[in-house]
Amino acid sequence: MTAVREAVARAEPKPPARTGQVKAAARWVRRAPLLPALIFTIVVTQLPFVATLVISLMRWNSLDPTNRGFAGVDNYTAVFTDPDLRSAIGTTVLLTVTVVFVSLVLGLVLALLLDRKFAGRGLVRTMLIAPFLVVPVAAALLWKHALYNPEYGLLNGVLTWLFGADAPQPEWISGMPLIAVEASLVWQWTPFMMLILLAGLQSRPQDAVEAARIDGATAWQVFRYLTLPHLRQYLELGALLGSIYIVQNFDAVFTITSGGLGTANLPYTIYQTFYQAHDYGQASAAGVVVVVGSIVIATFALRVVSSLLREEVRG
Amino acid sequence: MTTATLGSPSRASSVEARRRPRDWRKVLDWVAVHSLGLALGLMFALPILFVFLTAVMSDSQAFTKDLWPREWHWGNFLEVFDKAPLLKYLGNSLLYSLSATVGMLLSSIPAAYALAKMKWRGRNTVFLLVVGAMMLPPQVVAVPLYDTWSSLGLTGTLWPLIAPYFLFDAFSIFLLRQFILTIPQSYVDAARVDGCTEFQALVRIVVPMARPGIAATALFCFLYTWNDYFGPLLYTSEKPDQWTLSLALSSFKGMHHVQWNLAMAVTLLIMVPAVVLFVFAQRSFVKGITFTGVKG
Repeated sequence: MTAVREAVARAEPKPPARTGQVKAAARWVRRAPLLPALIFTIVVTQLPFVATLVISLMRWNSLDPTNRGFAGVDNYTAVFTDPDLRSAIGTTVLLTVTVVFVSLVLGLVLALLLDRKFAGRGLVRTMLIAPFLVVPVAAALLWKHALYNPEYGLLNGVLTWLFGADAPQPEWISGMPLIAVEASLVWQWTPFMMLILLAGLQSRPQDAVEAARIDGATAWQVFRYLTLPHLRQYLELGALLGSIYIVQNFDAVFTITSGGLGTANLPYTIYQTFYQAHDYGQASAAGVVVVVGSIVIATFALRVVSSLLREEVRG
Repeated sequence: MTTATLGSPSRASSVEARRRPRDWRKVLDWVAVHSLGLALGLMFALPILFVFLTAVMSDSQAFTKDLWPREWHWGNFLEVFDKAPLLKYLGNSLLYSLSATVGMLLSSIPAAYALAKMKWRGRNTVFLLVVGAMMLPPQVVAVPLYDTWSSLGLTGTLWPLIAPYFLFDAFSIFLLRQFILTIPQSYVDAARVDGCTEFQALVRIVVPMARPGIAATALFCFLYTWNDYFGPLLYTSEKPDQWTLSLALSSFKGMHHVQWNLAMAVTLLIMVPAVVLFVFAQRSFVKGITFTGVKG
């Protein structure tokens, strides 16, 4: 978020210079070729959302086309009172926060490891990046069938291999549905976080670290007072991009659990309301809630993270 | 004499004693780093290795708990091309990803330039709108967009997914703007003084200088569309000849659920383009994403 805020601050126009009418006109002539792109940008980014806002206030079910009209906030009331949708909101928040947090922490550990020189680093790095390159829906299928399957999946295969024929054979997906979805997402997102944090580690000024070491700082102190503050903006960037994508996650939920067993998040629920119940009004209202929610989560999560890190610097 | 003979070994041993824990710590550290690296690397790569091993198993062995194939059926990778029109799906995926990327470059570079290097009233507001649109999940605007495309008769094709990229892509505009901001204003001003129009300044000065950022943004756009599942599912799920690879994969599993090894082979084949692309563009990808995001 800071990245965005700073960017906005930088975009602050300098006080406009006094220019004559003719000069201004000439300037617009020079600018003209770029205008279509801009107008498109404004219109196209905002129009569908405005349309969504309007539809969210309407009574509109395509199975019942005659009964179409203004509904006021009925759809929003439905979103917040419908137990399914309410639990979908909770699931979305839980899923996003867990996945972003766990993959950031794991990504940090991996980045710290890869920042050191050791034999076979290149190989380890390649192995770690691999999950990021799997098409998400393929990753979801892979976890569902190749790993979680109680009959021929890898997890139970390894358990059998380790403990013999009477090893426990848990039903992963029905036993812990939300964790099953989260694990697959963490697996895919950790490499992404690692790449960002590794770039951050490698841009760290080495002389300060060297100086601290000479002054007798322990490895932990170097990490806490030098590395972590330096990584703050990289952590924020990872959290921002991660939350944007994971709030929207559809593939994993749709594939692994089909939204069952309490794992339906809002994007999935919207899809269902739209595609199966054909309730356009309510789907739109839920969509508006997702947007507001993701902006709130992203802002709040980043505030918390950066305030924590700021305290670290002071302490 | 005695003091000297006594003194020197004790001094030597004390030096050794001081050095030994250091050495031990180094050895321990070496072991710790290597075993941790290996363990974590395996943890992340193991699922993919398992997919590979299953893909070369025979039909019947794929359904057992075996981790290692008894016979290596390399032919499975060819057999999948007979089971499903994979080349057709590949063509659709490439059509979607490549046209979207080209469209994104045509529409987003000028918009990013206008947001980064031109001064005009309302620029901040427009930029905030772009950031807002970036956070908009595709499901949210699906309803009005689907309605519009279906009244144009274009649902069931990939055009509803491709066309918007020729108009705008918020995430790309954001990344490109951040990158173009790092180009010194003086270059652009000099071009203006020399009588360049904004368009010429963009094409001759900014685009060549922003090449790494453009490459990273293009890569992002390609991967995003290549990975996209929701879009093709929404618009083309009822028209199998328009399916992309990611959509085809999930139905391949449904249609050929008996041949589990083949499903795994397809999963691996779909990875190939992304891997190739990433190997070639890894550096600019990492540089682009951190540079644009952090230095903004």
